[in-house]
Amino acid sequence: MKVIAVDIDNVLNNFSDTLAKSSFTFKDSYGLSLEEFDNYLDLVKHDVFAESEFLTTKFSDFRHRIHEQCYPLAQANPDGVQFLNWLKANGWKIVICTKRNLRLTGECTKKWLQDNHIPYDYLITALNKIVFCKLWDVPYLIDDDLLNITYGERYGIQIYYPLMAKHSSVVSQTAKGFTRFEEIKQWIQE
Amino acid sequence: MDTRVELLNEFYQTMCKDKVKIENKNYGFEFIKKLTADNATLDYVQMENNLIHKYRLLHVSENHKQRLLQGHVNQAYNVCLYFDETANNTLCFNIDNNYKRNNNELIPEIELAVDYLQQHLGEHGIEAVNVKSGRGYHVWCRFAKPIANQLLLDFMIRISAKTLASLHYSHHDYRSIKINMSPNPRFVKIISLRAFGSRHIKTGLFSHIRTNDGVLNEEDSWKYFSNYMKNKTVSEQQFLLAFNEVAKTISLVK
Repeated sequence: MKVIAVDIDNVLNNFSDTLAKSSFTFKDSYGLSLEEFDNYLDLVKHDVFAESEFLTTKFSDFRHRIHEQCYPLAQANPDGVQFLNWLKANGWKIVICTKRNLRLTGECTKKWLQDNHIPYDYLITALNKIVFCKLWDVPYLIDDDLLNITYGERYGIQIYYPLMAKHSSVVSQTAKGFTRFEEIKQWIQE
Repeated sequence: MDTRVELLNEFYQTMCKDKVKIENKNYGFEFIKKLTADNATLDYVQMENNLIHKYRLLHVSENHKQRLLQGHVNQAYNVCLYFDETANNTLCFNIDNNYKRNNNELIPEIELAVDYLQQHLGEHGIEAVNVKSGRGYHVWCRFAKPIANQLLLDFMIRISAKTLASLHYSHHDYRSIKINMSPNPRFVKIISLRAFGSRHIKTGLFSHIRTNDGVLNEEDSWKYFSNYMKNKTVSEQQFLLAFNEVAKTISLVK
């Protein structure tokens, strides 16, 4: 079976840009003071966690609610959409592999994929995508995560990543950066 | 049919008929084929820590669901059920350890919270069944008739508030635990709860029932669960009475 895993945020869409550029208005339902709202929003926009010894906090709830507003707003990368349709047409099984908590965001994620005509066979939450790919025998992963780009090779997973500023320090011998999804076609057919 | 499966069917009679979540350590595309027998569809998979995999299945046929429940009582995997979207004959307080560190530990605040919760329910003539669940407890109440989800939630919020206040006034940090309440109309489509009789994937422990006299073994837990359903199911009238009483003392800001 030809199978490939593809991340969503910052791979198939522009999530981080959307988060940075969107404005969010204060709501009483956040259960925060205006000062807390401004402080937390700044942390969320910079992808920083408020320190806490607890799992569920006012911040974690707020972060989820801001991300939830961004998921439908993020724009699909037309090049990526085209590539996934090419994969489907050529007999590949597509695993959408995301860190999103699908229990909470499954519906809006599916709607976004459908609205943007993105085909897939399986939708999976995996916090550790390398472990997922290794376990499930998925040889290819398209992902922007530095950790995966760095360690994919060690576990026999071929990583392809969209070139971004944060990747300037990448030292992997086998992970391949791309500017257009089109480039991946030749690599997976080698 | 296995009497334990019959019991689960009766206890959770208003739960969604065609939607379940399966949790176990099995994985892979071949395993998905088995899960999606009888035209069931896989909605999504969650791969969590310790290689625990959760599979949300839709369009599950009655026969397939019964087979899955049999697998559940045989402890081959756990079946998690979804509440009905409008009204239910059960409610559940899901009490968990809220610390990031040693999150699987059953901390004293959890045991205390279960005691307080029981006490506050008991003040209104409602008895709950307390089921151990990993790092915490599922505290279930069962009603003779389905009750609107919003009413159940409004009741649970008040009882939970009293429980957290009791923890606070006994000099414990109420933030050390979290209480999730089901059914919650906001999350009813997406939140599932493990049916009784499960073996926790992470800890390997059976979902023992805890009574005032202590924690029961597996066999006695099943007996207690059965007795609870037969003798402690709460009438609709009793619930409404309890709701009105608790609503008089605690008002919700919406």
